[in-house]
Amino acid sequence: MNYLFHLLIYLNIYAIVAMSLNLISGYCGLLTLAHAGYFAVGGYAYALATVKLGWSFIPAVLLGIGMSSLLSLAVSIPAWRFRGNFFVMMSLAVQSLLFSLLHNWSSPGAELGTWRNLTNGPFGIAGISKPVLFGMKFQAIASIALISLAIALVCAGICWLLLSSPWGRLLKALRDDELAARGLGKNTRFIKVQVLAIACGMVAVAGALYAAYVGYIDPNAASLDESVLFLCMAIVGGVGNFRGPLVGAIVLLAIPEILRFVDIPDAMAANLRLMAYGVLLVVMMHVRPQGLAGDYRIE
Amino acid sequence: MQILVNGIVTGLTVSVLAVAFAIVYLPARVFHVALGGIYAAVPFVAWAILRAGWPSGIAFAIALGAGVIISLACEAVNHAPLEKKGGASGAHLVSSLGIYIAIVQVVALIWGNETKVLRTGLDAVNRIGNVIVTQAQAIAAGVSLAILVAFYAGLHFSQLGLQLRALADNPKEFALRGYNVRRLRLFAFGISGFLGGVSSLLVAYDIGFDPNGGLAAVLLAVVATIVGGRLSFWGPIVGGVLIGIVRSQVVWYLSARWQAAVTFLILAVFLFVRPNGILGTKARLEAEES
Repeated sequence: MNYLFHLLIYLNIYAIVAMSLNLISGYCGLLTLAHAGYFAVGGYAYALATVKLGWSFIPAVLLGIGMSSLLSLAVSIPAWRFRGNFFVMMSLAVQSLLFSLLHNWSSPGAELGTWRNLTNGPFGIAGISKPVLFGMKFQAIASIALISLAIALVCAGICWLLLSSPWGRLLKALRDDELAARGLGKNTRFIKVQVLAIACGMVAVAGALYAAYVGYIDPNAASLDESVLFLCMAIVGGVGNFRGPLVGAIVLLAIPEILRFVDIPDAMAANLRLMAYGVLLVVMMHVRPQGLAGDYRIE
Repeated sequence: MQILVNGIVTGLTVSVLAVAFAIVYLPARVFHVALGGIYAAVPFVAWAILRAGWPSGIAFAIALGAGVIISLACEAVNHAPLEKKGGASGAHLVSSLGIYIAIVQVVALIWGNETKVLRTGLDAVNRIGNVIVTQAQAIAAGVSLAILVAFYAGLHFSQLGLQLRALADNPKEFALRGYNVRRLRLFAFGISGFLGGVSSLLVAYDIGFDPNGGLAAVLLAVVATIVGGRLSFWGPIVGGVLIGIVRSQVVWYLSARWQAAVTFLILAVFLFVRPNGILGTKARLEAEES
């Protein structure tokens, strides 16, 4: 039963990630590899706020959202000038920048969370408290699963509201023909900044949930492997509608679980999992470029 | 002066990789991310053959051959069929990224994740004036220069080079005139695999190698290409040397851990001030991508 709750929590985290990526790739037409960086920023903000400042769940998550949205300028400003391949490379640069920040912002001897040792370098931050909400501590796995489900539903609601509004239609117009949207007097640059800030804020929530559930976060949460996993969700599931991201999250959650039940030595399992993602990307591009349940084909 | 020389040597190896990237990007408009996989795999092949007791010349030749074959396979199995289906440029990039991941994981499965070295013992040192050049650096600089000179001579004076430049300039008209685009693309991928392998071996001989450094190296090459000028065959060299010099200054004045940060700072500055690079001519980005 606990295993099912564990799966549910991960599914919720992945679903939030996939929904936020859907905003970027499905409605903005941009592929990003920096998403794991923002995921980790959310996780680190939550971890530092709870461990060092003793904040409760909601303000800590809000701090993560704020940080992540602010940092999203690092991908949205290149998005003014770049589309397609060069934007992917830019986002890869942002990812390696965020990773090296989290990995290097430490100095031996200094206390964790001070200005000289903010992230504790490669050792990460341990002992992150479980979510504290309205004075109650959610210790049991079932209650964390409940919180994560609630948050995922809230995120889905926000996405739905945003995308069915005029703003969402403008976004689609921007994706399909940026020049025409600009010709109609729309401020496409500002729209891109908005979308990326919202999406990065949303993925920060997922990062905070992850940190709260696992109780530990290290720079590997921002690694390229994570980014590729997130990108895989968007590409395998498909983007441009509501089903796609959910399908992607389920499939990508299922792959490591299946590998777990097949008898493979632990040392090889991680490599095989990543290899499966790589092969999956190639196969999807050949067989079904719009994803299993997507509406929009990445250009 | 010492730092400048170190920077130029690093910059030359980056330039070779950047040229390897550009030789595919300009004619075929494919982002050859799988080059990172070749960059990762080639030193391991050389290392394995050296361990089997073969002479180093044969080992390096076989390793380079392996790089060329992987690169050709990328085009034959992945990019050519995608192009035939009219795949978008994003599809090329994503599938190439997938190939990169698969190659790196295969390498890690076979040879492990640890950093390895191609040579043992201390390096011989040459003193020129007050500058110290290690033998590995001298080899890296010499081979890079020779390869770059040979490449540009080929590009400008041979029939194939002319065809490559024509394909980069206007692929549709080139095809309409009856040239075999598919064979030329294969050729470009082969050259790319070779150049990527050379750059990788030179770096591996100097400082060692591990399976995960490939994408970072290719990213550096892309930055060099953008800084130098995306639409010119000469851009990668200028950008590569510039980046190498700046990075070595960063190591000296700041710290090696902020190398990546400063590299991307340069990139950001260039994007805002001169988005077409040092050697670029004015062109709109949106217009090219479609």
